[in-house]
Amino acid sequence: MVDATKKRNRVFDYFIEEEQFAGGVAWCAGCPLELTARFVPKVLGKKMIFVGTPGCAAPVLHGQNIGAWHHLAYMASVMTGVPSKATGLSRYYHKTGQEATVVCFTGDGCATDVGFQPLSGAAERNERIIYIAYDNEGYMNTGNQRSSATPLGAATTTTPVGKIKRGKPTPAKNMPMVMLMHKPRYMATATLSHLEDFAKKLTKAKEAAKEGFVYLHVFAPCPVGWRIDSNRVIEVCRTAVRTNYFPLWEAENGKPRFTLEVASPKPVGEFTKLMRKFSHLDENGMKDLQRTVDERFALIKGLCEVYKE
Amino acid sequence: MVSAQKGQVRVITGNAVGAYGALLCRPEVVAAYPITPQSEIAEQIAQFVNNGELDAEYVEVEGENSAMNVVLGASVAGARVFTATSSYGLVFMYDALQETSGYRAPVVMVNANRETPGIHAVSSGQQDMVSTRDTGWVQIIVENDQEILDQIIMSYRLAEDNNILLPVMVNYDGFYLSYLAEAVEIPLIEDVDAFLAPLKKQTPRQKLVPGVNIGCGTHGIEMGYVEARYKHCQAMERVKPKVDEIDKAFGDYFGRYYGGQIEEYRTDDADIIILASGSATGTVRTVVDSKREKGIKVGLVKLRLFRPFPAERLIEALQGKKAIGVIDRSVGFGWKYGPICTELRALSREIGTAPILSYIDGLANLDITIPHIERVVDELDTAAKGKPYQEVTWIPMEE
Ligand SMILES: Cc1ncc(C[n+]2csc(CCOP(=O)(O)OP(=O)(O)O)c2C)c(N)n1
Ligand code: SF4
Ligand SMILES: [Mg+2]
Repeated sequence: MVDATKKRNRVFDYFIEEEQFAGGVAWCAGCPLELTARFVPKVLGKKMIFVGTPGCAAPVLHGQNIGAWHHLAYMASVMTGVPSKATGLSRYYHKTGQEATVVCFTGDGCATDVGFQPLSGAAERNERIIYIAYDNEGYMNTGNQRSSATPLGAATTTTPVGKIKRGKPTPAKNMPMVMLMHKPRYMATATLSHLEDFAKKLTKAKEAAKEGFVYLHVFAPCPVGWRIDSNRVIEVCRTAVRTNYFPLWEAENGKPRFTLEVASPKPVGEFTKLMRKFSHLDENGMKDLQRTVDERFALIKGLCEVYKE
Repeated sequence: MVSAQKGQVRVITGNAVGAYGALLCRPEVVAAYPITPQSEIAEQIAQFVNNGELDAEYVEVEGENSAMNVVLGASVAGARVFTATSSYGLVFMYDALQETSGYRAPVVMVNANRETPGIHAVSSGQQDMVSTRDTGWVQIIVENDQEILDQIIMSYRLAEDNNILLPVMVNYDGFYLSYLAEAVEIPLIEDVDAFLAPLKKQTPRQKLVPGVNIGCGTHGIEMGYVEARYKHCQAMERVKPKVDEIDKAFGDYFGRYYGGQIEEYRTDDADIIILASGSATGTVRTVVDSKREKGIKVGLVKLRLFRPFPAERLIEALQGKKAIGVIDRSVGFGWKYGPICTELRALSREIGTAPILSYIDGLANLDITIPHIERVVDELDTAAKGKPYQEVTWIPMEE
């Protein structure tokens, strides 16, 4: 068992389990979803159950007319039932004294849209489950359509750049903030460029899930849909953090704090220039996007101040 | 098996009975969401749990879709589970109903039948059950409060049988039975334990266990999918004799028999038959008796099993009859007949040449009355004599 308070310097120090996935899985080259899925069980251990759903994660997590591509227990669900199935599993394991870490693993589309109601319900009931939303800012599995997590201005196949409308007209649902307002036992944002931070949060999540609900929002850019070179995905993650586009924070019992504060954040243009989904934005479009980034950062910063000891 | 002890007789409503039925079977996880006319079940079970009378995890979900998903998850983990719903609640579970049967999860659910149209109708009717008939569930219809209780107990024996492993929906007429207080004999829990004990002697069913590499609900395509569907349909076929077998075992032990898939009342020498289901069958029985006194040879077949459809038993009961009237408490789109009538007509060749008359009655809390049934008998009598008849009659529209 990993001691959450022990000082660990390297990401490997957090691993309690070997690689659980087969090589050569059915994900696109350079996809951070793959890295996330491989990473999670190494830190959480073998007693975890993946509850997943249609989305890019599904073929690997649940198999496609074959077994899944990993060694763990898993339960597949339609998009509307993930946290509820996890609730049923977790309640029964708890009642019968079986050790288990029940992990919902879904995309942003499931979490923010069609699967939001049961997620909100499970969080409010404080179920002992971990919900990991990997955020690639759209419905990637069905061909890069917009989700509620798609950012302002971004081009997707259902918010295409046309002659009179160019990209998504509304900002992304601020999902980490929405979940914070549920006051979960533990929640955090994380991404692949900051692996120690991510591992530490998973370790905390595992402990916290013995008492209540945990939500992890993992930034996971999609090289195919966002049109990023597949060798630059981790750089995109790091730049998202350094521009405050995706700040790293956590909250225990609803009290947020930064796990990393960027000393002098770069403009969001440093982030958007690494991909082509924003390449149609003009100066005003970029200003609007910068404003949402600033507003969101100010909001979380303000809340951190409120709860500062 | 010796017989059970005499239970306590109490005058309680159908909804309270639903809750007692669940209590007696000791479900380990219950999830439910309130909806008229079922809400008392959700409330009463919560009270049982909070009083320590039922040792179950009770999940007060945020909607019916989650209720079904919670009990599905728990069932897959190995729990005995229970839930209850009605109407829009049932159809809000639609995707989860299909997953539950696809998982072959032995969930038991009570459904207080209510209209489920595109326009609101907070009133009784079997439309909810009919709208979910092809979700792969076993669907049973009961007539009175005692039967609600007894059928819940029998449903666990059915659902959790290793040769079946299917979810079971116990349907009763919402409003009519939900709020009707009747004398009900509540068996002793030890006797219910004894009745359900054979389930424990089976090889434990497959469960999702943490740390064991078992997958549930894979993306079956091609042959994997076909095989699962085939086995599901085969299991449905096995339900039919099993329902009869369990009914017999239940009757032998508790002293109450229901006929299994169907109940036949004065059918042996009958020329004409009314096929009905649910609470209205009591009225039909009364009319059968009074018409018999007038020399009309009429009988009743009470449909208890709707899914799978009890084809063999119906053929046996209806073969050679001279006219059959089917009373439907819901509508079907695409055929002019009521849904149960449409199903029965699939057996026309086996049944013989008897005219089959479809009656739509009792929608939206409209009573199926004695005069309505008398009219049905008279028309069947005419049809049986080879005279012209009307194929489909919406009784309330002609009053
Ligand atoms: C109820 C329902 N509606 C639509 C779909 C089609 N569908 C499959 S995956 C998907 C998008 C999922 O998006 P997200 O959760 O973000 O996962 P990603 O594909 O991005 O990994 C959709 C809409 C579905 N499977 N179920
Ligand atoms: S489409 Fe995008 S999110 Fe999906 S597997 Fe490929 S790179 Fe990953
Ligand atoms: Mg997505």
